[in-house]
Amino acid sequence: MIEVTGLTKRFRDRAVVDDLTFSIPRGEIVGLLGPNGAGKTTTLRLLAGFLPATSGTARVAGFDVFEQPMEARRRIGYLPETPPLYDSMTVRSYLRFVAGLKGVARGELDGEAARVAALTGTSEVLDRLAGNLSKGFRQRVGIAQALLHEPEVLILDEPTVGLDPIQIREVRDLVRALGGRHTVLLSSHLLPEVAMTCSKVIVLQDGKLVDFDTLDGLIARHLPGRKVTLDEISFLEEIFGKLVTPA
Amino acid sequence: MRAILAIVRKELSVYFTTPVAWVVLVVVAFFSAQVFAGALDGFRMVATRAGEIPGGAAVVERMNLTDTVVARLLGSVGLLLVVTTPFLSMRLVAEERRAGTFELLMTVPVRPAEIVLGKYLASLAVLCAALSLVAVFPAFLSVAGSGAQGGAAIEWPTVAAGLLGLFLLGAAALAVGLAFSALSETPVVAALLSLLVLSGLWLATLFTVGAGGAARNLAAGLSASEHLAPFLQGRIALSDVLYYLSLCVLGLFVAERAVEGRRWA
Repeated sequence: MIEVTGLTKRFRDRAVVDDLTFSIPRGEIVGLLGPNGAGKTTTLRLLAGFLPATSGTARVAGFDVFEQPMEARRRIGYLPETPPLYDSMTVRSYLRFVAGLKGVARGELDGEAARVAALTGTSEVLDRLAGNLSKGFRQRVGIAQALLHEPEVLILDEPTVGLDPIQIREVRDLVRALGGRHTVLLSSHLLPEVAMTCSKVIVLQDGKLVDFDTLDGLIARHLPGRKVTLDEISFLEEIFGKLVTPA
Repeated sequence: MRAILAIVRKELSVYFTTPVAWVVLVVVAFFSAQVFAGALDGFRMVATRAGEIPGGAAVVERMNLTDTVVARLLGSVGLLLVVTTPFLSMRLVAEERRAGTFELLMTVPVRPAEIVLGKYLASLAVLCAALSLVAVFPAFLSVAGSGAQGGAAIEWPTVAAGLLGLFLLGAAALAVGLAFSALSETPVVAALLSLLVLSGLWLATLFTVGAGGAARNLAAGLSASEHLAPFLQGRIALSDVLYYLSLCVLGLFVAERAVEGRRWA
């Protein structure tokens, strides 16, 4: 569903994303993990079509993100690093607006807005101004916006940032429920987050892919002989530390 | 098409839920009213004085409200548009970038041209609202006044040509402002830059004074106010229409390129 080959992005002569190659099959939830500045946001921006690549290709749902941008974007729901809200608009009119941009028919705008609001627990704030929302609600409205028009692929840049622990659990459940129907690529630096929602993990370091595997695969490779369960999430911290800190 | 309409609706709702459009409408209405009252008073004074001198009656017969009052009003509205339109266009693109919503617009299946067009159409709608406020004054005269020998007080074709000229001027100014909004980092910078360029174009006519030959023709050709004058006298010349339309096209083209290019930065 997402196929990335040799994807590279340079700003002047600094490679922020360096020769990434990976592919994600339909319905999987993959976490993009890395320290700050590793190129997570840039990678997601490239896939969402916000930034052009210096070289390499990326295909989403069979469409080249750079060659057929409109076709690819129709199939992507994207939550940027900061939720893209208009402070002077109510949540309802905002969701209607974005649904309109995504080509939802006029008569279905309200239904579609209500559907994603229910999914993300934002129904109660539909008539409030986005500018007056708490950070948690802003984040959830941002996720709601990405879900409009049922995209095949969801690209979520730190979906749980700014949420309290209960909301984090809700979003985690939501993302897990979205898997299967949607292909999800999310970035996070919260390790428990990734361990509990994602079936596979991509670890980035200085723009390079240092590992890409299932959780079990990572455990087998980096903590050989250790028996770990998902309840004990510190294992990922150990693996992460091994992969991204220079030896 | 659906996306353009969605953008138009959203921009209009932003215009009218924030003070910007209201302030511009109030400014236009207030200063138009001042100019209108002044011009009307002047007309009354001239008419009264003319009645007191021999042969004055003939002068009064030739004076008409359209040329002496309405044309003066519309000429002043031209300057008002140059001063106020930068505030209508300033946040169209620059604000999206400041708020981080630009990333949303660039990742939904909508072309930059559609975004630019939707935003431009919304600003044109506010311009039309402002001009319809201005049109109230001649409408008032046509109801309350009367022309020489009991004719109509207002020559509507002349007024319509003047309003068309103002619409073209405003449309050109908004396109230029939209281009600067797409090129600038913040709305304030966009407003200042477009104010600078538009007032430069408006005042280019000053360089015709004392200049001769090619320099004079160039200054007159570039001047936004020179091209408005024929409209106010009821003349619609192709060259004047083309002047404003080419500014519109140039502004929209630059805006589209800038929006498209923003992603590549």
